[in-house]
Amino acid sequence: MTNSRKLQTAGLLWFLLTLLVLAIGFYQACTAPTEATMGNLYRVFFYHFPHTILSFVFPYLNCFASFAFLYWRQRNPERALAADAFALASAQVTVVYASVGLATGMLWGRAAWGIWWTWDARLTTYLLLWLLYVSYVLLRRLSASGQTEVLSAVLAIFAAIDIPICFMSIRWWRTQHPAPVFGGGADSGIDPSMYPAVLWNLAAWAMWGAFILGLRYAIERRRQRRDTAAAHQYLSASKSPSYGEAQ
Amino acid sequence: MNISLALALPPFQTLAQKHLIYAYCAVWLIQFGYGTWLAVQWHKSSRP
Repeated sequence: MTNSRKLQTAGLLWFLLTLLVLAIGFYQACTAPTEATMGNLYRVFFYHFPHTILSFVFPYLNCFASFAFLYWRQRNPERALAADAFALASAQVTVVYASVGLATGMLWGRAAWGIWWTWDARLTTYLLLWLLYVSYVLLRRLSASGQTEVLSAVLAIFAAIDIPICFMSIRWWRTQHPAPVFGGGADSGIDPSMYPAVLWNLAAWAMWGAFILGLRYAIERRRQRRDTAAAHQYLSASKSPSYGEAQ
Repeated sequence: MNISLALALPPFQTLAQKHLIYAYCAVWLIQFGYGTWLAVQWHKSSRP
């Protein structure tokens, strides 16, 4: 069995395991005890929390990969290409997770607060995070410059500055967004009976995130290899004596 | 056993119930929509 075939088999097994953990997470979210003040609406939290936390993790992967790309682009072009593919994959996954965080947060807010949106520190910095990574993906998609990878790597490094600000916003400022549920002081936390639903869903969406990140990376690496092969073919053809005559 | 979300609650009666269902559907739509797009791209990239 070739390495590529082994990786595909491992990916398929990971995908099946992820589906199983997602199903357990959904079951746990449905069967967790009803919350005293919010009733069943609080179950949005079981999906909102993992997506929001993970949307703070993937941008760091994007930032590290962008640093790696900038470091290796002169020293080791092959590694730089791999880092660039990883940066692109992690930026797209960030957009997906942040979109879910925004959508579930707004749906919960409309039902709990009576408003879809408010310009408090957490929501504003989170919207900024989403916009930064959407702009990264659009830059990759639309830029015709030969320096797209470098420009997007620089953008990724600046975009990562928003992550700690957004994460700490509910600790630094008084916000409409609820105070931290975990690690927010003596009054924070949830009933222990709700932990299985939180942890299973956190594990499930982390596994799903790893799966789509790996798949997106593999697709981008294939595209890079195809482009490199096409460029080599073009160069070989242009060096052949018959090339000038054909032109 | 309290299977409140799936069975005990008749959906779409109150705003909270509706938004709970919408939130779960939005998650699956966005995540599995992106997953499906990736699967299509993977399939396309497999072609010579």
